Amino acid sequence: MRITQDLPVMEKLKILTDAAKYDVACTSSGNQRRNDGTGLGSCVQAGLCHSFAADGRCISLLKILFTNECIFDCKYCTNRRSNDVPRASFTPDEVCELTLEFYRRNYIEGLFLSSGVMGSPDYTMELLYATLYKLRRERRFQGYIHVKAIPGASLELVRKVGFLADRMSVNLEFATSGGLKKLAPHKTRKNILEPMRLVQNGMAENKYEIQTYRHAPDFVPAGQSTQMIIGATPESDYQILQVAESLYKKFELKRVFYSAFVHVNDDKNLPARTDAGPPLLREHRLYQADWLLRYYQFEAEELLSEAEPNFNVLFDPKCNWALRHLEVFPVEVNRAGYELLLRVPGLGYRSAQRIVRARRLGSLDFADLKKMGVVLKRAMYFLTCNGKMMYPTKMDEDYIARNLLRAGEKLPEGADGMTYRQLSLFDDVKFGGGINEKNLCV
Amino acid sequence: MKRIYVCNDEVTGLFSAIYDAWRAVVVDGVPECGIRFRGHIEQELFCEYTEVQENEKKVQAVERLILRNLGWYAYKRIYQAALAADVRKGDAVLGTMLAAREIPDSRRIMDYMGNAQVQKVFELSRYVGSEAHQWMEFLRFRELKNGVLYAGFAPKSRVLTCVAPHFADRFSVENWMIYDETYQEYAVHEAGKQWVLVSGERLDEELTGAFSKDERMYQDLWRQFTTSIAIEDRRNPRCQMGHLPLWYRKNMVEFGI
Repeated sequence: MRITQDLPVMEKLKILTDAAKYDVACTSSGNQRRNDGTGLGSCVQAGLCHSFAADGRCISLLKILFTNECIFDCKYCTNRRSNDVPRASFTPDEVCELTLEFYRRNYIEGLFLSSGVMGSPDYTMELLYATLYKLRRERRFQGYIHVKAIPGASLELVRKVGFLADRMSVNLEFATSGGLKKLAPHKTRKNILEPMRLVQNGMAENKYEIQTYRHAPDFVPAGQSTQMIIGATPESDYQILQVAESLYKKFELKRVFYSAFVHVNDDKNLPARTDAGPPLLREHRLYQADWLLRYYQFEAEELLSEAEPNFNVLFDPKCNWALRHLEVFPVEVNRAGYELLLRVPGLGYRSAQRIVRARRLGSLDFADLKKMGVVLKRAMYFLTCNGKMMYPTKMDEDYIARNLLRAGEKLPEGADGMTYRQLSLFDDVKFGGGINEKNLCV
Repeated sequence: MKRIYVCNDEVTGLFSAIYDAWRAVVVDGVPECGIRFRGHIEQELFCEYTEVQENEKKVQAVERLILRNLGWYAYKRIYQAALAADVRKGDAVLGTMLAAREIPDSRRIMDYMGNAQVQKVFELSRYVGSEAHQWMEFLRFRELKNGVLYAGFAPKSRVLTCVAPHFADRFSVENWMIYDETYQEYAVHEAGKQWVLVSGERLDEELTGAFSKDERMYQDLWRQFTTSIAIEDRRNPRCQMGHLPLWYRKNMVEFGI
């Protein structure tokens, strides 16, 4: 390991950005804050994406590690201590300077500060606190700050940092504790869930304080999030989705992020390297299902089950659900309740709201729906307007599925089962046989 | 006979024309009115063309009319539609306002998606709103020798007045200036004060081309950051282009200049 001292900022930025890029959460949403006239910055509720990288992911925050000199040895991580990579650390002043100078040129929406564990979790957390204190209190920065809680750091420190940040997150990493034990031996489920619970309780207390005292300081006003790595351990989509659901319900998380596993290390505990690349479609399906949980009033149990533990490759989770529940359809646009409209494929919650508002003033037909932004190529099999379908349609699963496929999204090569690749023993997602593990995390 | 009001393609012009057209329809009982913009007139048969006298008084009267009868939400939609680069926007706004007279609760007008003019206003406003939002994201400031932050951009719609308040709040402690290359307007902000809209002035190109000492360094640092943040295994230029179309990139530091 090369620990390099006195590097120019350019080199440090290169190393520590490269080390931070596998963290997914780069959102700047969830908090609205006006500038108070003493320093730079404000927050926008919806968040702003200031650029897009060559991989199509948004760049909203200055996403860096404070240091990549890490004492942990997580198998999947490029910064694990057993890897020979260049190491570097920022100083709090350098981070402040970079953040402010980027911010005033409108490059970024704020700072995303994560870190490898240098010395001990407490020492690292103190460094993060020092940086945030400088930025928030001394330089009066009022933009967005997302900070990671280091697993194992003392809860008092996590609490103090919470008063300076907009959003906090602790990475759950894997849905089962077995996966965590195998691939992140220095992290424990307890160390991850403890700070999560602390932030949750802190936010609840803070809500009460703000009601009582008008100028009480905000504690993590934009809520907390977490992330899970997809495809490094043999968990099924069903298990992952159940964990996500209980995180939303029991820990009141704002977001759960899913990160398709990218091979950076070779390790006997990791799945064998293939040419297929990261499991992007699986990640995509999980995000689609995640939206259904948060905005469309679906439950994990409805989308997947023990018998069908993984997502359909061809259809998005909502379409898949609709095809299995044809008894509910077709739905009459002019009369169906909002909850039922949300379940129609091709109807988003915005168009559902527009429909509910517009139909008070007159009945709607398919031309009106099209103007409102409804995706008719999917919705037309499940809707009637004034008792009529758009075209005569047989309410038959095979018939609709066939038609939907013809107008469907573009799928990656091989997803339709027509592959000319060499068959492999390890293609099945259920490799490793750990599927029946019942040790779900929450 | 149909009467067509001709005005300049600006909010002042459009609202003055609406004032005149509204009077003609509601007071004088002219059966049909239209609004066209100078320089974009396709002569039609059986129409009489009238030049509009533009002034602030008419604009304020129309604003009051909209706010009182259609409410704040409809006003916002109509104002945004008035900024769009579309020659039919005048007819759409006028049509929407006239349609509001026909319904029981005129504040509900923007929900009448069945009406083609309301639909058009909604569409235009959505387009302008999202363009303004994207410029808040993609605008790039450069620090000049005198410490002023300068940004140039070339929007399709006239969104400068939507974008400037955002930066006036966010960069309240900075001196900055935004130049709209398409419509040749400036938003100028002095630290701690309100921002102002300036038009009809010429820019000193020598001044805006002279960067401060550290400007190049931070541009290079930013380019380094945007390069190393991308994951090579997930490379997807089409997705990038979908989110950030090429025409936005002209003034963006990380894409060339």
